Amino acid sequence: MRAKLSDKHQKALNFFDSKLNGKFITHLNSCVHCGLCGESCHYYLATKDERFMPARKVDLVASIYRRYHTFAGRFLPKLVGARDLNDETIEEMVDVLFGACTMCGRCSVHCSIGVDVPFLVRTARSMLVEMDLVPKGLQSTVDAAINTGNNMGIPRNEFVDTLEWLEEDLQMEVEDDNAEIPRDQKGKKIMYTLNPREPKFFPLSISAMAKIYYAAKESWTISTNTYDVTNYSYYSGDNEGARELTDRLCKEMKNLDAETLVLAECGHGSRAIRWEGPNWVEKEYPFKVITVIEVIADYIRSGRIKLDPSKNTQLITLHDPCNLVRAGGIIEEQRFILKNAVENFIEMTPNRENNYCCGGGGGQLAMSEYNERRVESGRIKADQIRATGAKIVATPCHNCIDQLMGLNSDYKLGVEIMTIGEIVANALILGVE
Amino acid sequence: MPEIDINGKKFEVDGDGFLQKPEIWNEEVAILFANSDGTGELNEKHWAVVNYIRSHWLENDMAPMVRNICKNTGLRLREIYQLFPLGPARGACRIAGLPKPDGCV
Repeated sequence: MRAKLSDKHQKALNFFDSKLNGKFITHLNSCVHCGLCGESCHYYLATKDERFMPARKVDLVASIYRRYHTFAGRFLPKLVGARDLNDETIEEMVDVLFGACTMCGRCSVHCSIGVDVPFLVRTARSMLVEMDLVPKGLQSTVDAAINTGNNMGIPRNEFVDTLEWLEEDLQMEVEDDNAEIPRDQKGKKIMYTLNPREPKFFPLSISAMAKIYYAAKESWTISTNTYDVTNYSYYSGDNEGARELTDRLCKEMKNLDAETLVLAECGHGSRAIRWEGPNWVEKEYPFKVITVIEVIADYIRSGRIKLDPSKNTQLITLHDPCNLVRAGGIIEEQRFILKNAVENFIEMTPNRENNYCCGGGGGQLAMSEYNERRVESGRIKADQIRATGAKIVATPCHNCIDQLMGLNSDYKLGVEIMTIGEIVANALILGVE
Repeated sequence: MPEIDINGKKFEVDGDGFLQKPEIWNEEVAILFANSDGTGELNEKHWAVVNYIRSHWLENDMAPMVRNICKNTGLRLREIYQLFPLGPARGACRIAGLPKPDGCV
């Protein structure tokens, strides 16, 4: 019979129970153990550790369901592989569901019956949130975003100072004293967002986008209060935090009276804000949300910007961020952009929705505890890059960029990693009507 | 707690190789870290960056913006990336003995 649960465990189980609906139960009960998912997972491929097979991850979550919600699981748990929600089970959940999954969803594409593995993993992560068991670095990144307004705790005055500095630089580059990086301006068409790592450590991507907006004569602004495109609560499974961060962007859109929220090159941020966000705030957005990749592609298509691909002569390949491509369906825009902006482009194999995760998703970059696995699982991506012979890897995701920079050094790939915006800015022809 | 061993010296680090006890940092640690992470021999410009990051962290308990690194060292932005191939965070901040900054770095 069932052992009495501690208050903490009961809280987690109550959460689990509250999420039980047709979709959740169907995905929990559908795995037929065919094993196809193993060969699709970069963790399993890189380590051959069976605990990391997606089907095993699914079964870990399903075993809790069986224990508390099926007749056989209640009375003969061992017979049906039902597990108590106890310290041992929970330790394994933290280790495998936080520490060995990027929620990249490649397994779901290959699953013979389409089990939504990332959905199950994230729901289980939400249970761990209830027990305060989110790994330290991931939780502190969430906390920084909630408490300071951005996930790196950048003080507002330093952010403004950085934008002013970049604006001066832009004016020199385009030789126009009126070129600007507009801050907190009301009634603009676009409110643009940033990943805090851009102003903090890698601002060239901000300069690149400012130059593109300048060339396109765009009406745009950045909010100096609410600009963070990331939503680490999406990764951690913290639905209340995810709702709060989404709600802040909604309020700032209203405050600045902007028409369109444009999401910076950020895979999970795009997914969280554009596709998951309305569920968290429980309403449709009263404004348009679009990724900057679509904005740039539209500029090229409509002739608002002109590019000279001979400015980018080196062989360039493209990494597809899972959340943007496999989950979001933004697949061809970045290819259309690159074909217009560079002379030599090569696909890595496999690509598009079948692409391998770089290993940096799911909050892995914030969880030092699992660093070794992150680097090891990234070997699959490193091999893919090496096989292209490319000198530059472009990717529309700052999170992927950081992982790729690490892989570049760890696996001695000798490549340069760039955003799509940086490559486009490099090829811009200014002064044409 | 993971340990790394550089030239027979052991350091307690987090999973990303950042010092667990930032207070044990000294110039020798910086030299050892830089030699083992691909940064190589530290020149005057490297030291200007590392020392500025270190003092900013001691005063403010956080890594400085790259804008301030440039302002205080007189280096151009692109030079920072050339000096520290792993970037300001995983490169320079780690060599300066800081804990790993939060976020996508």
